[in-house]
Amino acid sequence: MTQKGVTLNTNSHKIKFARSFIRTLLKMRKNAPSSSSIEEIRKRSQRIKIAAYSSMAHAVGSRRAWSRAILFKLRNRARHHGMMRRRSMKKRVIKNDPPGDQSKANKLRQLVPGGKAMDMCSLLEETAHYIRCLSTQVKVMQTIADHFSK
Amino acid sequence: MDPPLVSESSFSAANPAAYSLAELWPFGGSEPGTGSLGLRMGNLGPNPNGFAESSGNRDGSAEESTVTEQSGGGGGSRKKRKEVSSEDESSKMVSTSSANDLLSESNGKRMKVAGSCDDNDGSKAEVEASSAADNKPAEGSTQPSEPPKQDYIHVRARRGQATDSHSLAERARREKISERMKILQDLVPGCNKVIGKALVLDEIINYIQSLQRQVEFLSMKLEAVNSRMGMNPVMDGFPPKDLGSQPFDASGMILGSQAMREYPQSSQLEWLHMQLGALSFDASGMMFGSQAMREYAQSSTKMAAYAGNERTFAGVTLKFKFDVLVIPSLLRSKKKSLPLTFEAGMQGNPLIDMDAFKSATQKSCNESGSADREGTGRSSNIRQQDSR
Repeated sequence: MTQKGVTLNTNSHKIKFARSFIRTLLKMRKNAPSSSSIEEIRKRSQRIKIAAYSSMAHAVGSRRAWSRAILFKLRNRARHHGMMRRRSMKKRVIKNDPPGDQSKANKLRQLVPGGKAMDMCSLLEETAHYIRCLSTQVKVMQTIADHFSK
Repeated sequence: MDPPLVSESSFSAANPAAYSLAELWPFGGSEPGTGSLGLRMGNLGPNPNGFAESSGNRDGSAEESTVTEQSGGGGGSRKKRKEVSSEDESSKMVSTSSANDLLSESNGKRMKVAGSCDDNDGSKAEVEASSAADNKPAEGSTQPSEPPKQDYIHVRARRGQATDSHSLAERARREKISERMKILQDLVPGCNKVIGKALVLDEIINYIQSLQRQVEFLSMKLEAVNSRMGMNPVMDGFPPKDLGSQPFDASGMILGSQAMREYPQSSQLEWLHMQLGALSFDASGMMFGSQAMREYAQSSTKMAAYAGNERTFAGVTLKFKFDVLVIPSLLRSKKKSLPLTFEAGMQGNPLIDMDAFKSATQKSCNESGSADREGTGRSSNIRQQDSR
């Protein structure tokens, strides 16, 4: 019973994600003049990555902590982009991880968006959901890539 | 997971606790625990569920698979359940323990907030009143709980276990964490056999990293495909199916000489590595275990590993072919960079079968007139092998 519910949900996520992602791709294709410098290429692939994450977060909605964190970050990205990056860099340098499980948990916190504010339980739960969504995202992107490159 | 922790008789008194939970929820927990809290509220009694629904199900508990078996149904079913029996509910030890845990976690917070909360929400107060009426008799029969105003901890210690509230709460928390861990273990492939929390966490971390890396590579690939489609107005939109029959293959396009010619100035080795990484992902398919993924990530930095050993397994021969595929294009576009790549090959792997490698590259260099065709053909070969 639970299993069914999960697949249904992820399916709807999948469809939503695929739709918005393809839409962004098409938009990018129309807008961006394809230049050949490596910087441009890198920038564009970065943008696609961001689009993938954001459309996943949009598909999930604000019900999940990690998607909320992504959405929040996206919203504020333009405003204090440089500032946040600098701050986060500093923090990372200063921090020294305690040994054992705690360091692993901290690592996980860094990986899961919005994980820094969570306690262990909710972190694990969010991680589970995040993993599920990521794998569907990868699947969809793979399918799109295969389809385009056929 | 030890069932006797919760006494059946004491369970029904968990509901008032749930009320305080539900009531305090908007204030206490902010984001992090939303989902889990919602679940727990779903699991507890009928009334807190009513509250959760009335608040627009903001936590999306139905979303979550973890414990959802009970919370999957609508509110009506929950109401029924209450009538059925308390035993049904008492079997769900998880819910009680988790509620208990929450109580203990936000202990300090609760004490502070409790007063102000009652004033703030009138509608909730109503619900609470009705529920209190329901639960009063049950409460009378509970044994070990604190005075009614305080937190309700309905976990019983086994013989020999500590009974003070802190250790009880800690035990409940640990149980909850281990339960989540189990769910995660089911989710991450190849994680079932791993024993130990640290190792499991390691595995999870690696899996997430591999997934994120995959997303990165796929976005790179999509970028290449997308920009190509943008350049080519004929192929705009979704390509028809019969496009695959043309000798012109997109993967060859991505990995082939055009890309190389486009960036003659940049550090080609680096780009090559990037491409190699992309290909290794392409070839390996998506759902490799994290172990394999890690290996790929490591080996994609060393071209040599790909170039040398043909005998190990099919994947490596694939990569060998791929090297041959890329190098002639390098040769053509910029002759300087070739010795560099060779050196890299030599340093990384002393066992490299140099003769075969050279002959292969030379052969493909001789065909450099039709190198593009060759490349695409090979890549399509790779594709076929991959699909097999």
